[in-house]
Amino acid sequence: MCLGIPGRIVEIQERDGLATGLVDFGGVRREVCLAYVADDVEVGDYAIVHVGFAISLVDEDEARRTFEILQEMSQLDELEWMREIAERSLSARQPEVTP
Amino acid sequence: MKYLSEYRDPALARTLIERIRHTATRRWVLMEVCGGQTHTIVKQGINQLLTEQVEMVHGPGCPVCVTPLEQIDRALHLAKDARVIFTSFGDMLRVPGSECDLFQIRARGGDVRVVYSPLDALALARHHPDRDGVFFAVGFETTAPANAMAVWQAHVQGVENFSMLVSHVTVPPAMVAILESPDNRVQGFLAAGHVCTVMGWTEYEPLAKRYEVPIVVTGFEPLDILEGIYMAVCQLEDGRHEVENQYVRSVRRDGNQPAQELVTRVFELVDRPWRGIGVIPGSGLRLRPEFSAFDAERKFGLAGIRAEEPSACRAGDVLRGKLKPFECAAFGTACTPEHPLGAPMVSSEGACAAYYNYGRMQSVVSEEVSP
Amino acid sequence: MTSATIAGGPVCPTPVTETERVLLGHGSGGKMSARLVRDRFLSRFASPTLELLGDGAVVRLGDAELVVSTDTFVVSPLEFPGGNIGSLAVHGTVNDVAMMGAEPKYLSAGFVLEEGLLLDLLDRIVHTMANAAVAAGVTLVAGDTKVVERGKADGMYINTTGLGAVRSDFRPVPTAARPGDAVLVSGPLGRHGIAVMAARNGIAFETTIESDSAALSPLVAALHQSVGAAVHVLRDPTRGGLASALNEIAAAAGVGIELDETSVPVPGPVEAVCEMLGFDPLYVANEGVLVALVEAEAAPRALRALRAHPLGADAAQIGKVIDRHPGIVAMKTAIGGSRVVDMLPGDQLPRIC
Repeated sequence: MCLGIPGRIVEIQERDGLATGLVDFGGVRREVCLAYVADDVEVGDYAIVHVGFAISLVDEDEARRTFEILQEMSQLDELEWMREIAERSLSARQPEVTP
Repeated sequence: MKYLSEYRDPALARTLIERIRHTATRRWVLMEVCGGQTHTIVKQGINQLLTEQVEMVHGPGCPVCVTPLEQIDRALHLAKDARVIFTSFGDMLRVPGSECDLFQIRARGGDVRVVYSPLDALALARHHPDRDGVFFAVGFETTAPANAMAVWQAHVQGVENFSMLVSHVTVPPAMVAILESPDNRVQGFLAAGHVCTVMGWTEYEPLAKRYEVPIVVTGFEPLDILEGIYMAVCQLEDGRHEVENQYVRSVRRDGNQPAQELVTRVFELVDRPWRGIGVIPGSGLRLRPEFSAFDAERKFGLAGIRAEEPSACRAGDVLRGKLKPFECAAFGTACTPEHPLGAPMVSSEGACAAYYNYGRMQSVVSEEVSP
Repeated sequence: MTSATIAGGPVCPTPVTETERVLLGHGSGGKMSARLVRDRFLSRFASPTLELLGDGAVVRLGDAELVVSTDTFVVSPLEFPGGNIGSLAVHGTVNDVAMMGAEPKYLSAGFVLEEGLLLDLLDRIVHTMANAAVAAGVTLVAGDTKVVERGKADGMYINTTGLGAVRSDFRPVPTAARPGDAVLVSGPLGRHGIAVMAARNGIAFETTIESDSAALSPLVAALHQSVGAAVHVLRDPTRGGLASALNEIAAAAGVGIELDETSVPVPGPVEAVCEMLGFDPLYVANEGVLVALVEAEAAPRALRALRAHPLGADAAQIGKVIDRHPGIVAMKTAIGGSRVVDMLPGDQLPRIC
């Protein structure tokens, strides 16, 4: 149901009337049925593979965008925290003021 | 590994954790319905890191755990047959039936083999024309296209000695069953990313609307889960209840059309019993009559094999998210992976096994672990 | 099927788990194996030495102290990337002796051959085995050969017994682990188990992963020379992987162990296969890696000594021994959470979810 991992398609052939590919998973290769992504698939694409079948092609633009958003978030938060830390150390030098 | 390892980045994980901690003004109850997500959550300690903001309730997302006792008994019956080469995904081997499990059948001489792909099961049948190849076709919608293709290929190639024992279930009816339950506490869902890769998310839109729950289609790596939780919490804080997609690198709204088409061609919807839960209408798949030659139940006349699920069984409460594994009186004492009392402790995707294997002591590891 | 009730309410019916037969899980090096040994073997042989359940046994003959260890090799297929059953049979037993701190000297070997085994294959295996023995500095001094009917022995089984010279000032033993000890591994994990799986039929994939099968005695010698008795425990994490080995040590010494996920070295291709099948590299067998629990102050020197040798080039500290949660191995995860690293009941099974 869930165990699908991304791999890079290095070869595409036909076997028993089905589009089949050789997929590279971080240095390990396996034959994968590409029938369900046959219309769009090209060598070099990344696919999500579940029990020997490609069930989707990885949208690399979306993947990059997710990452950029997360990284922006991370940088923003760092600035926030740096500001918080600065403010805290500033207030530590002054007597406690109840808001 | 590309598109996998990056989603374990510790710094980005911390960012999301902090965001969730700052955004939640109260503790929300979320459910994931996917054994793989349960696995990641407990194995990475996500539920422990966010324990004040979110209560993660684990839904019936383990297809192994919910396979009815009856189907297991039918599998055991077939595996005992000397003519049969019985193939299965690995984690089915340890699930107990009424009397024993597939491992024990193998010890007694049954030809039980683990395969990675249903096409491997078909190839085995072709290589052994004098035997009957039977494949235990278990899974949610993610696996249905693969199983459908195996049957389709068998049909096209005229492989007569191949059949499947089908035990497929679908997610949306299970979510409805949980939402309809009078004591339901779940306020938002993480939808299973690979189920939705195949099916898209259109089926979830009416659910979000009718039951007013946010549903976020989520992936499986730590950053995916954290981002999915963050999106759900944001919705809950805002009072929204929509379907959103976190797993954008794999899921599109309409899913995988060719896959859906072959599944519809080969399978039809039926009512299915879920082990420990009971019958959920329209929640299962069965081979269509034109493919009955490949239906092991019909081919081998297994209808007579019945099993009574005991009416009071805690596994069902765990699967429905009513009970946390560690709240069960037997957890870790009478019931462990070594001597399991029920399927959620047997299957490595089951909530009980996940908690036992990974989560038995929360907040044990010290803050600093460094050389 | 019986129903069990436990205080607190009805529970699940009890499936029959008590079995009358040996199951594959009994050989996996996990909890089932431990129970089989404890209940069916230890209880019958009155042997305090045996009950120590070390990699080898220290015995005395007159004034001489020797280490004895035995191991049986049933790997299938007989040949795999990085070795074969012959080299494995040498390395496995040499390593068991070495993990006691001793210097391996002699081997005996018993062969069970299946009728129909190709003599060419036998030659290749024996050739590799002989080379491995020479490289490991051990001499084969006794042997035996039996032939069984076609259908038995999977081609070939080999048992080797090893004898080694005790180093009187170097006697690592699992019970010697102490809070504060550094947990070191000599190299990357998971290569042997994955290489063998790749060579089998059933779950086919192409990979360049080779078994790490190797004699670890040079690494042990390096540790002896550099830090000596600061090495408290040595273990080679074979079947059951690193997790099983550490759990055994934690239980034996009554200590807790804490690991850092980001420090555990796993090669990319091993990780890839584990992802594909849903395996955890911590449970995959190794045949050329050792785990050393070393006094904290000596750890940097120990790591330098290991890294100076090709076999130990990737040696790393992966955690430490602590005085909390005795008997339990825990791990800080990549994202800062925590999990328990338990011993598995039996073998890992490929999962779909």
